[in-house]
Amino acid sequence: MYQYIIRRILVFIPMLLALSIIVFGLAKAAPGDPFTGKILDPNINPEVYEQQREALGLNKPVPIQYLNWAKEVAQGNFGESITFNGRSVQSLIKERILNTVYLGIVALGITLVVAIPIGIYSARKPYSLLDYGATTFGFAGLAIPNFFFGLVVIYLLSIKMGWFPAQGTLTSNDLSGFAEFKDRLHHMVLPGLTLGLASTASYMRYMRSEVLDVLGSDYIRTAKAKGMSDRNVLYKHTLRNAMIPIITLMGFEFGAILSGAIITEQVFNFPGLGTLFINAITNRDYPVVMAIALLLGVAILVGNLIADIFYSIVDPRIRYD
Amino acid sequence: MLKRYRSSLFLLILVLMFGLVLAACNAEGDKDTKKPDDATTEDTNKDDEKDDEEATDDGPKEGGTVTGAMHTAPAGMFNPIFYEEAYESNILDFTHEGLTSQNEKLEFIPALAKSWETNDDQTEITFTLEEGVKWHDGEEFTAKDVVYTYTAIADPDYVAAGGVRTNYVEPLLGYEDYVSGESDEFPGVVADSDYQVTFKFAEPNVMPLYYTGFPIIPEHIFKDIPVADIPKAEESTQGGKVIGTGPFKFTDMIEREQYTLERHEGYWQGKPNLDKIVWKIVQQSVMTGLLEKGEIDFIAAPGGIDPADYDMVNDYENIKIAEQADFGYQLLGFKLNHRTAEDVAAGAIEPDNWVPNKKIADPKVRQAIAWAIDRDGLVGEGHGKGLLHGRGQPINSPIAVQFWAYDENAGTNYTHDPDKAKEILDELGYVDKDGDGFREDPDGNKWVLNMEYPVGNQIREKSAPLIVDYLKEVGIQVDLRQPKDMSVYVDGLTKDNTDWDLYLIGWNLGSADPDPLGLWGIKDAYNFSRWNNPKSDELLYKAIKAPEAFDQGFRTEVYKEWQKLFSEDLPAFLLYAQNSIWAYNDRIQNVQILPQTMYRDSHTWWVND
Repeated sequence: MYQYIIRRILVFIPMLLALSIIVFGLAKAAPGDPFTGKILDPNINPEVYEQQREALGLNKPVPIQYLNWAKEVAQGNFGESITFNGRSVQSLIKERILNTVYLGIVALGITLVVAIPIGIYSARKPYSLLDYGATTFGFAGLAIPNFFFGLVVIYLLSIKMGWFPAQGTLTSNDLSGFAEFKDRLHHMVLPGLTLGLASTASYMRYMRSEVLDVLGSDYIRTAKAKGMSDRNVLYKHTLRNAMIPIITLMGFEFGAILSGAIITEQVFNFPGLGTLFINAITNRDYPVVMAIALLLGVAILVGNLIADIFYSIVDPRIRYD
Repeated sequence: MLKRYRSSLFLLILVLMFGLVLAACNAEGDKDTKKPDDATTEDTNKDDEKDDEEATDDGPKEGGTVTGAMHTAPAGMFNPIFYEEAYESNILDFTHEGLTSQNEKLEFIPALAKSWETNDDQTEITFTLEEGVKWHDGEEFTAKDVVYTYTAIADPDYVAAGGVRTNYVEPLLGYEDYVSGESDEFPGVVADSDYQVTFKFAEPNVMPLYYTGFPIIPEHIFKDIPVADIPKAEESTQGGKVIGTGPFKFTDMIEREQYTLERHEGYWQGKPNLDKIVWKIVQQSVMTGLLEKGEIDFIAAPGGIDPADYDMVNDYENIKIAEQADFGYQLLGFKLNHRTAEDVAAGAIEPDNWVPNKKIADPKVRQAIAWAIDRDGLVGEGHGKGLLHGRGQPINSPIAVQFWAYDENAGTNYTHDPDKAKEILDELGYVDKDGDGFREDPDGNKWVLNMEYPVGNQIREKSAPLIVDYLKEVGIQVDLRQPKDMSVYVDGLTKDNTDWDLYLIGWNLGSADPDPLGLWGIKDAYNFSRWNNPKSDELLYKAIKAPEAFDQGFRTEVYKEWQKLFSEDLPAFLLYAQNSIWAYNDRIQNVQILPQTMYRDSHTWWVND
């Protein structure tokens, strides 16, 4: 098992290397550079941008730029942002990654708490009123665009009712300890709900079809025939097997959480990695694009590794050696 | 029986769980609003209620907080010499000041300098500074700070460190030598004494006040930091470390969410009334809701109120609206010339090598296009009409309408006259020969104009297909390309060895001087039309040439002639100037609405509630 994990981690290295080359090449191949997207200001002499390109080495051949970048990264230095003058890439990511992770966890929690029980219930009582109800509710969640749902909850729960803050992650820097935690959680409710309910439908449908599938299999019939109680059949046999595809999904979710939820982040002005990434791409802020792409690559690889490890726990037939 | 019972139990648990989540949050919400350290309006209201009980007269009251909102967070560079975006300037406008300021007529008025005079040949301007001005940290402001600020902008490392304001130092004496490292001394700005400073220009300069109004940064803070490291320094980026002379100091931030400014007790024009000004970053679509609710108190540049929301916001009882022409315009440009591939690769702007664009080379064709477009239709007459809901106006020359130099009658006023457009095209021989409903060129070849436009400004995006329709109406075929991201678009506009014929772009102009050079001079990089009319350059340079140009009347006349030339030769057809719409809660007193800002004299603001 440990050998397997070490082997998998070693494979990460060439994969990340390939990823970095591809992303770097694509980013450079896109037309424009960090200075073409700047606000056009007649009071600024365009000559200065040419000098800044020169200073940043953007006029050098792309392979040389890549090697220069890779050399720095190998020493743990991801460089400085171009859009955010004077800010290191590390500090930009650090500033936002926790927001993103917290929001992702809250949203995923909401998704799972709602989707798994409903999915199981719908499978056990297919074509019941609740099954139809849940399906309708789920698809409505899928169909409503995130930004619209976000605006509706802001309007209703924040502006009209005043229950939750509409924007941001924190009320004041003066808060600390438990008060800060509560304040952050309070700010997280609306974006968490928006993001969480959106993906409920797919999890619910997965859970439903998996449980239905397992319930129809031979070993469940055997278990029932042995006189096993409904509850035991459900928890000991059905759920365990039905969880496998959900674990696969969650493995991907690990990377998806880090890549942030651009639209939700924007509607709630919740500064996370998603908006940073998309802004870096539109502004051609190459160092930031590269660092986040690598980070996401690592997250997805690790997420899948964890999923694979979980398989062997849930399903003893799966063994790695 | 048992089964049914269990399933409903299950449902019950589910409902309870959901309810619990909501209830928990709700309870917390109640607690939250009562917390004393909640730095928002709730807090303010409480303070002010107290004030109300004590003071009943109507004079300015001390204390209180006002909250402003902008839709995008500042990048985080709170140093006037290095910031680039309007979002930072929303904060710097309160924290830093220049030697001069501008009044409602855009005339320069004293700020940190109480008076100034120029020498006889207009190569020098000497400022006498206010005495007793204190920086936020208590140090005194002197002429050394002015010298330091301009010397830092002229520094050889300034541009490589990300600075872009070299325009302000380029005409100063000795800049070339200093920036290239040939000289260690920068003779362009000299402190004659603690309270007197002289700017020296390399050549007589007709608009010295434009160059000398830059916000001043403190020498005692930055003198030990190499210019290359200033953008990284905490003194440029961190609340509490940023030092200016303005009425408010920037003390704290929740990055990308909230920026807190506190009053500068020792402000030289008198202690500000307000305790705090808080800037919040708020998504555009929820801004007006929070404004109505009183959670934010003012919305101004950049963006302001969306024209479509004007009527709604106008109906809010507690909100005042300030609407006026903005410093900028949107245009439909004509690529009159293209550069050669070699020149593009070398980054050279050599008008002699330019390749004329035959499709739109004749000014009469461009005039026909102008007559065909209904600018009043784009602007609209009121709510629900046009793209601007009536909140703007067509302009006839590329000078902001607030300026003395703008002359609305100098150029042709292209009203919507499709018949005239058709007539001109018929006369020139652009007629439909193959019966496809579109005109061919006089030689009978297909005549299709390629039009490009960027995403970003939604009103401009919507105008593109409308323009295509207007042109179709008079038989001009336009190939409207997919809109491009700004960084891709500007790259394409600049590297113009392409097949672009028509393009859309908008310009935001400064409020200091109406000089159109920089955008419309033949060799200007921003002359995206590649307009090559020697007469135009002659006029533009004549308008700023000493000694005649010291007389504003002379400049007005020259610009009048240039505006006429522009509207006849039409390197670009000016579509509209959108109005800026600012809104603020009427609890804020003493707000002055100037053409360029509403933050003037913020130390006199006070709240009444």
